[in-house]
Amino acid sequence: MEIEKVKEKLMEGRPGFTRQYGPARSDHQPGIPFFPQEVTRDLVLIFILTAIIFFLTAAVVPSLGPPRAENLSELIVPDWYLLFSWGLLKVGDIFPQFILGAGTPLETQFNAAFWGDILSGIPVIFLIVLPFIDRGREARPAKAPFRSALGVSFLLVWTFCASLYAIREVVAQRWQSPNGAPLFPDDTMKWFFIVPPVLSFVATYVALRRLGFAPMRKWLVPLTAAPFLVVAAQSLLILFMPGWLAASVQPYWLEVAVLLLILCVASGATALAVLILPESSARTVVHIVGPASLVAFLGFLAFLFTTDYVGYLWVATVLDPSMNTLIFLPGFVVVTAWFGLRRPYSSYEYLLNECYQCGKCHTVCPITKVEDDALGGLNLVYNSFKKQHDGVPLWTCLACDACSAVCPLDIKYSDYILEERARAHARAAADGGERT
Amino acid sequence: MMTTDETEYGPGRTIPHPILFRVLDSEAEDTTVPEIQVEQKSEFAYYPGCVDYYDMEMQFSHVNYGDTNHGIIFDSSIKLLRAVGIEPMILDRSFMKCCGHDQLWQGKVDVFETMRDYNTKIIKMLGVKTLVTSCAEGYRTFKLDYGLEKQGIRVVHITQILYERGLRVPPQGENAKKIRVAYQDPCRSCRQMPVDPVYEEPRELIKRVDNAELVELKTFRADAQCCGVAQMMYCNDKTKGLTRKRMDEADDVDADYLLTACPKCLTHFGCLHHENKWKPGEERQAYRVMDITQFLAERLPGDYPTGSNVDPKRKEAPLPGRKGGW
Repeated sequence: MEIEKVKEKLMEGRPGFTRQYGPARSDHQPGIPFFPQEVTRDLVLIFILTAIIFFLTAAVVPSLGPPRAENLSELIVPDWYLLFSWGLLKVGDIFPQFILGAGTPLETQFNAAFWGDILSGIPVIFLIVLPFIDRGREARPAKAPFRSALGVSFLLVWTFCASLYAIREVVAQRWQSPNGAPLFPDDTMKWFFIVPPVLSFVATYVALRRLGFAPMRKWLVPLTAAPFLVVAAQSLLILFMPGWLAASVQPYWLEVAVLLLILCVASGATALAVLILPESSARTVVHIVGPASLVAFLGFLAFLFTTDYVGYLWVATVLDPSMNTLIFLPGFVVVTAWFGLRRPYSSYEYLLNECYQCGKCHTVCPITKVEDDALGGLNLVYNSFKKQHDGVPLWTCLACDACSAVCPLDIKYSDYILEERARAHARAAADGGERT
Repeated sequence: MMTTDETEYGPGRTIPHPILFRVLDSEAEDTTVPEIQVEQKSEFAYYPGCVDYYDMEMQFSHVNYGDTNHGIIFDSSIKLLRAVGIEPMILDRSFMKCCGHDQLWQGKVDVFETMRDYNTKIIKMLGVKTLVTSCAEGYRTFKLDYGLEKQGIRVVHITQILYERGLRVPPQGENAKKIRVAYQDPCRSCRQMPVDPVYEEPRELIKRVDNAELVELKTFRADAQCCGVAQMMYCNDKTKGLTRKRMDEADDVDADYLLTACPKCLTHFGCLHHENKWKPGEERQAYRVMDITQFLAERLPGDYPTGSNVDPKRKEAPLPGRKGGW
């Protein structure tokens, strides 16, 4: 047979020829394709349902009940699960408002309500296009980090922030500075639509990539350094630029300075550790700095709250309106660094747990042909992973990858062996054994 | 086969080959780059790997009157590369370190990384465009674990470049004996390579020898059974059993030659082959075990480049016993 034919994968699947495995494999699971088969079926069902609704609305006149009384509260909120839509309607006024074709029959008002309607459609549009974006066969978040982060983290936080904006009047009334101004101004709450969802998206993306063994150091350096610079710059401006610290807060500048210092140290130490330290030491630094600064920050606020409540409120007038940068960014830096530097140990568990014990690996494993102890079944590696073996397989394994080649789930057992041996060696070194 | 009670589990089985790897590990520590004299600049480089080490270490090598000849892999490779018009720079072990495959798979990641950084530095310093290895483990290590491809250096197994350049093996003559040749697929260059596994090229090259008939072993290509030992971790009855199984497969197909592209496979096949000759009456495997480069180079006209790989003492009859006559 000709080599070109083999390279074109004409012989794929015949006995003795390698099956594709790994992320680059092009063979797909059998099944009915989403497009056009499933789409056609679903469209038919949708049209039938829509027709029924049209028919019912035409035939049956619904009773809407008595009209709303004039003297009810101004604050009208829908049920909680529709709050996000209400919030989007309210935020519609950030867009330019104008009227096209005024005075003509085609007059169209581009007002806040119009933009709010458009905004409310975005989540629906997202849900509609999701199956077209998501064409992979993987359902596990670590295998598809981008869409998992977008679909879960971004959308959840974004929905929450939109719901929060729906009750902006309640927030403004509940949290006020001593002079009666809202602690969370309207602009700050509008930024909530962008900053927290994006930050949580990035943090989740980094975490999921790390879960899938990607080294995330290169990502972490800009992701920690840039927020730190923002926080540091804003802190310096607040403290030293005349006019940034309001006259009423001036007496409390020391408290403000301490809190800003805690935030700067938390993000700065993390960014520096990510930049210069080796990964394990950086991890330790993050493990210490994160909780320590959180405790210090909350502890100091609690101390202020109990000893000097008015002072606490004045300090809050500095921190809360700048929440998007001053509070969220340091938190983001620490959490992202923590996620991105995690030991991917539990992810091996994650990968090996894909195994559904078909036992093909046992059939091909050469060791099982000569080891008495290995006659029990399944792959030596899997058994040692499940603690059903005495650990010897780790060193008995030839790493010949015969098991990976037949694995229907594309688990790379030799990578696990490599990782575990490195770990065992490091452990021996830590116990006083010789390292080289 | 031993019963469970007698199984010699314990630390003894986990200790890698002590002396050879102590030597290689201690070599890794010195990272000063020596002055390198480049005789002939070329964009091709050939990395012979640790084959010369094995030849001196192994009791069954041709130095000790065994059949296995690791050193000839180097000479054969150069001869073959010249035959396809390549005059490579030779990445000699006088200034290169071991590629680090065994250290990596024994878990000594720090040693491996030292070797990797040092070797990568030298390879880049010499301006290599294509790195040729004759070793399956080297192929995998340079290609995957070094990540040389990402840095613009192409890594090929020697059979790949010979096939690509169209190696011509001249007719062996009408009187040449018909031979049956079996090929052992090394795990590292075949099954373990997600990109460019070397399945076809060695087979195509074997088919170009006109008196050779390629026979496939019972398990071959992606299903090929391992030779029995990986990364020189241990040598015991179990690993011997695996090697024996694989060699019996070659017996079953009446092979005259058992070829491989991996010095480790060659080592362990050669070891068992030699062992079986201790008592002449018990000689079990009638075929020869050799590296594919040696097999091809023997069939090309002309002498080996250095001509020094044949031990003059080899004319004498090998002495019986493990110690040989060294």
